Amino acid sequence: MTKFDYSTKPWWQFAFEASLEAFKDAQMTPADIDAIVFSSISSAAGGEHQSHKVSFLSDLFKTNVPIIEVPSVCGGGGVAFWTALHLQGFKNILVLASEKYADNKSETTVDWILSAAEKTIEQPEGMLFPVQNALIWQQYMAKYKATMDDLSLVAFKNHTNATLNPKAYFYKKPIDLEKIKNSPIVASPFRLMDCSLSVNGGAAVILSQEESDIKVIGSGFATDYLMTFGRQDLTHFKATQLAAKQAFGQAGLTPNDINVAEVHDAFTSVELISYEDLGFADFGQGAELIRSGKINLGGSLPINPSGGLKAKGHPISATGLAQIYEITNQLKGRAEKERQTNPLPKYGLTHNIGGAGGSVTVHIFEKNN
Amino acid sequence: MPFYKCLKCGKVWQYPLSECPFCFIKLEPLVSKQAKVVSASKVIIPTMRHAFVPYFSALIEDENNNKWVYKSIQELNQGDCLSYCSDSEAIAVWRIKYDYLEAIRKAIELIKGLELKENSKILILPSLFSATQAHVRENTSPEFLQAIIEYLLQNNIKIENIKIASQAFGEIPIEAMAERSGLLAVCLKNKIMPLDLNKTNFIKQDDLEISEEVIKADLVINLGINQAGRAKATENIFRILKKENYLGLKYLCSEKEIAQKLENKINNLINLSEADYLRDKEGYIYYLGIILAGKSFLKLDRVFNEIIMSREISDLIADISFEDISLVGRHIKEIQFNLIKI
Repeated sequence: MTKFDYSTKPWWQFAFEASLEAFKDAQMTPADIDAIVFSSISSAAGGEHQSHKVSFLSDLFKTNVPIIEVPSVCGGGGVAFWTALHLQGFKNILVLASEKYADNKSETTVDWILSAAEKTIEQPEGMLFPVQNALIWQQYMAKYKATMDDLSLVAFKNHTNATLNPKAYFYKKPIDLEKIKNSPIVASPFRLMDCSLSVNGGAAVILSQEESDIKVIGSGFATDYLMTFGRQDLTHFKATQLAAKQAFGQAGLTPNDINVAEVHDAFTSVELISYEDLGFADFGQGAELIRSGKINLGGSLPINPSGGLKAKGHPISATGLAQIYEITNQLKGRAEKERQTNPLPKYGLTHNIGGAGGSVTVHIFEKNN
Repeated sequence: MPFYKCLKCGKVWQYPLSECPFCFIKLEPLVSKQAKVVSASKVIIPTMRHAFVPYFSALIEDENNNKWVYKSIQELNQGDCLSYCSDSEAIAVWRIKYDYLEAIRKAIELIKGLELKENSKILILPSLFSATQAHVRENTSPEFLQAIIEYLLQNNIKIENIKIASQAFGEIPIEAMAERSGLLAVCLKNKIMPLDLNKTNFIKQDDLEISEEVIKADLVINLGINQAGRAKATENIFRILKKENYLGLKYLCSEKEIAQKLENKINNLINLSEADYLRDKEGYIYYLGIILAGKSFLKLDRVFNEIIMSREISDLIADISFEDISLVGRHIKEIQFNLIKI
């Protein structure tokens, strides 16, 4: 994966750089790839907007293999990976995502990403993503007695982890807990530090039929209604629960077996609620889990050792594959020493959400000894 | 907020689907009687379509446990009920959320309804300005015209008492405009013969020569289609004048004066204006999702200009003070956005 930042490279350069690292790691070249699955939402500024990226990638990699574009906004990387897993008859598939969408005034970028939410019924009513999640969190707080301080702990954990990750935007940029707690209100009760960071970047994974030390043993994908409040449960994400059930069922594992996880934290509340949807905590016990310190680096289940979307950064479609990149490195023992899960993990999980729980993938990985 | 329920399987949608995809039966519209605030978030950051902060975005629930979201410039707290005043002299501002009929019904309710009797004769004046497809938004949308016809039928107006009329003031034949815009198809579908006002008698009232069809009708419904930098509800009402009279008057006085004379003269008029999608002066189209209603076409056009915060304003409405217009429905700051930024 590339470093996640605000650099002004074109979208394809993020894609190219991420692919190059994957090729070298797999000791392959584009000639070894017999299909590509790609995900992106593209540029908000418009100048680089390209609707036929598959043909661009054909040129980039001098290939004529099938290239499938699978956009699913913030969940695009995970959905591309799920799609690649379900393709049959291919030996090596490059799964790729890249974004250069933070390239304009933030108002424009926000408007662009809001195309991922309901445009006619909800957005005219001010339903931005922070607002949507703030309203969900208000329901959760009322039901389970959680507090805003619990969310500050989520942000603090992820920012601390990101300071150790050279590919994270907040690498070597520590932020203390008090600053997180006192950051400006965006949409009450959410503060700026409850929101993830919109950046540019790319990530790539090669799926191979050849024997490898990392195996995908569980893959779940579920969707839910675009209009969040038309759903039955206002405090949790049903699609995460369904995708997790599929993935754990295929893997023959339970949440207790997972040693390290990358959990979608577009907002701090989403991470906390997802502890419960993924089965790492009972319903209503997510706050207790973050308070316990078990999911910090050095705990029994480190969550978001990369810094997560919150502090590594969130380049929309690239996020899901960046999570897989992190878990693969964790399982291989290749993360930086201070971030490496110890003892060496055997099972890792990634959880990637599109929109406000609208499309969710969960993948479980095993390290073969 | 309208919801649509399948009475067989109980599934509910916020989209006006034609039928339940599971049971293949027509969905029943559910209109909320009481809407209460469940929770609200105070939004501090401005965005492209929400320029004014702070505002409140609230989760609302009705008596059927249906939930939706609602923006308010006034502070909203848990347990608050949503309610609206109605005023027959005001300009109603409401949102269109796919369902034109529902939006029309609500906008008319906000101006205290229409005086309709079983034998009322209705003259509908759709905007018909060019021979262009509906998506270009120069003319009344076929869906909007269809919705107003349905509204009238639901209020027991007989189809034979509804006339749809316009007049070409330019070179393009009215038949071409009616056909290309899709409005002719709506007339034919409803078995309403469209009327060219140019071929009707005109009655002289002071220096105005007004179509006899307008004088004879119990209610005239002027369907505007809002456009940036224009005053199209007002421009459309000129079509009730004899073409030669209109062109002659333009030599004698300004269009603004003609409009003011018409506003004073026509008492059986209601204006409904669609701004679901709006067209700017260069022809680019933007989503807006608004409907306006009121007795005064001049005030209605002025309110629209304020909504899109346009620097350009038609001479027809330039000296109308927005502050003097009373509004009902949505607060202007809830829906206002800067078209230049979009």
